[in-house]
Amino acid sequence: MSNTQSLFQQKNDLRHRLGRFTNHGDRFWVAALFGSSLLILILVLMIGWEVWALSAPSRHAFGWAFISPWAKAAWNPALDRFNAWPAIYGSLVTSAIALVLAVPFSIAVAIFLAELAPPLLRTPLNYMVEMLAAVPSVIYGLWGIYLFLPKVVHPIGAALQNTLGVIPGLSTFFGGPIPASGISKLAAALILTIMVTPTIAAVTRDVLLAIPRSQREASLALGATQWETIWKVLLPMGLSGILGAVILGFGRAIGETMAVTMVIGNTSGGGYSVLKPGYTMASIIANEFAEAVSDLHSSALIEIALVLFVVTIILNAISRWLVMRVQRKTMGR
Amino acid sequence: MKRTLIVLTILIAALALAACGGGKAQPTKASAPTQASQSLQAAAPTQTPAPAESKAVTLNGAGATFPLPVYTEWNQMYPSVQPNVTINYQGIGSGGGQKAILDGTVDFAGSDSLLKDDQYAKMPDLQMLPMLAGAVVPIYNVPGMDKLTLDGPTLVNIFMAKITKWNDPAIARLNPGVNLPDQPITVAHRSDGSGTTEIFTSYLGAVSEEWKNNVGVGKAVEWPADGIGQGVGGKGNPGVAQAVQSTPYSIGYVELAYAKSNNIPMAAMINAAGNEVTANAETMQDAMAAFANAFDERLTAKIVNAPGEKSWPIMGYTYLIIHMTENKDCAKTKALLDYIEWAISDEAAAKKAEELGYATLPAAVRDLVEAKLHEVTCNGQKVLQ
Repeated sequence: MSNTQSLFQQKNDLRHRLGRFTNHGDRFWVAALFGSSLLILILVLMIGWEVWALSAPSRHAFGWAFISPWAKAAWNPALDRFNAWPAIYGSLVTSAIALVLAVPFSIAVAIFLAELAPPLLRTPLNYMVEMLAAVPSVIYGLWGIYLFLPKVVHPIGAALQNTLGVIPGLSTFFGGPIPASGISKLAAALILTIMVTPTIAAVTRDVLLAIPRSQREASLALGATQWETIWKVLLPMGLSGILGAVILGFGRAIGETMAVTMVIGNTSGGGYSVLKPGYTMASIIANEFAEAVSDLHSSALIEIALVLFVVTIILNAISRWLVMRVQRKTMGR
Repeated sequence: MKRTLIVLTILIAALALAACGGGKAQPTKASAPTQASQSLQAAAPTQTPAPAESKAVTLNGAGATFPLPVYTEWNQMYPSVQPNVTINYQGIGSGGGQKAILDGTVDFAGSDSLLKDDQYAKMPDLQMLPMLAGAVVPIYNVPGMDKLTLDGPTLVNIFMAKITKWNDPAIARLNPGVNLPDQPITVAHRSDGSGTTEIFTSYLGAVSEEWKNNVGVGKAVEWPADGIGQGVGGKGNPGVAQAVQSTPYSIGYVELAYAKSNNIPMAAMINAAGNEVTANAETMQDAMAAFANAFDERLTAKIVNAPGEKSWPIMGYTYLIIHMTENKDCAKTKALLDYIEWAISDEAAAKKAEELGYATLPAAVRDLVEAKLHEVTCNGQKVLQ
């Protein structure tokens, strides 16, 4: 007994003595942390500068026509004519569809996992959601090509083309026919939906679990039902975190390269219909950069990277602003 | 009683430890001298005839992926010819290979496409050497059709999206007696820039002025079929093959080597001489022989639409790029030249290339390359005698 005590004392003494050498503490840590965050800023600026500088030839050659939807759509490396609109449209439309489908679904999953699931179900389901979020995208792509596209996307596409596709205004976006292989923007959007759902669901679940138990108890004590508690207390409280989860999902969707390139058909000529093949910004860069034909071609691809960079920053800023507004509102209440 | 037990366990433990330790220590002690003598013996034969070559040489190359399967096999075979030479080749793409040799980061580069004038201007001593030729074949997926014959103009019109249905009269004329379906044609092409596309579009451009002027020839083009929503891009040969195989009533193009090893139905072509040919070793050799005199002073040649009786029309050479004069490390230069000479003349090397679906150089072309190899200098001195 006395032996252990002396050992404890010894250890404390040692720590004290070492402290003289190491306890420059706070100042050192502040500097280290500030340095790390500065590094992030420098990194972002450097990436921005690099893509800006390297895209100069393409920016000078094409100007705003490069991203214009009204310029004659062309992506012709052989003749050095480039217009990125089909890829920009492809990225935006696939990510947007993916989010519209994935957000309600993944919030429902998160609510079930955090609030309703019996413990026996919760553990395996949690595990599955996290595992799905970690599956490499190329596996989604392979599974998509061989199973999901012909068996699921093609029937859905055919149904859309026969219903929405015949309505005059909507036929631009749902005009068929969808290729028999299922390769289309819709296929990319649905694969992305499946890919972002576990990401959004896992983060949303953690957000809901982080809300103090007392909030639930207070709400229930006031006579609210469980549903009212979830809908009127938990979701509003977690809204900024959930928005963060959605941003994360969007980032994954718009940056996804491999799975998309395997199912979207990689053509800039598919037009506006989601049932036709298309391109995304990330996949056109991945496809063509290694064997870019001319300097203008690689410069044009770098300009697409610039556009992707700017789009991501703008969308991030918008969502930051949304989060801030929501926070102010809930706090003000 | 307790004490004896403890002593016993300690004893047993000590014995076990000693046994383990001894067992491990013994072989290492014993094997050390034998290993040394073995390596001495192995090194001896190469050391005696040519002491200057005994230094291990590593050659680094990078570039085209089109010949990558052959180069990989050759590089594995070569140590049995020259044990002290190691060759690394990375398939990073022709453009990447050209950039790498211009930047001086590799000893040689592989490329399917030709260096441009401004690249020669930067490094005038770069030399392209034809190594192998490869064929590109149209592949198709039409249910119930196990044979398809096309000619140049028809193939152009399909990829131009002027022929849009399988029962078009132009296809019907070439395939008498075949029941052609009234179905729209889906055109599959490469989505990534590729030497395969360059060979294929070179052929289409050689057949049709309109293709050459309006679509163009290159590693990536804007496919007219995409414009009418009937085009699909796939990444790499597997991507195109997959797109064709999963899309009924489609047509595409891949390397012969890939189509062969995956048993994909290939179309036959009517060549420039008007004969129906399929892609194989014989028709490829015929095309190369027909163009044996077509090499310019840069030792490059286009071999599409060959005029020979049996020539397969859609072909291209793949090249290595080396330095002719700016060589500093003569042991390295010698090793590289020896390797190239071995690759184009060794029978086992040629057999391996043909197995993989590539065509080896005809004798006339091989002579041209060998003559070039003998002109290479290092620090002003000829390297090969």
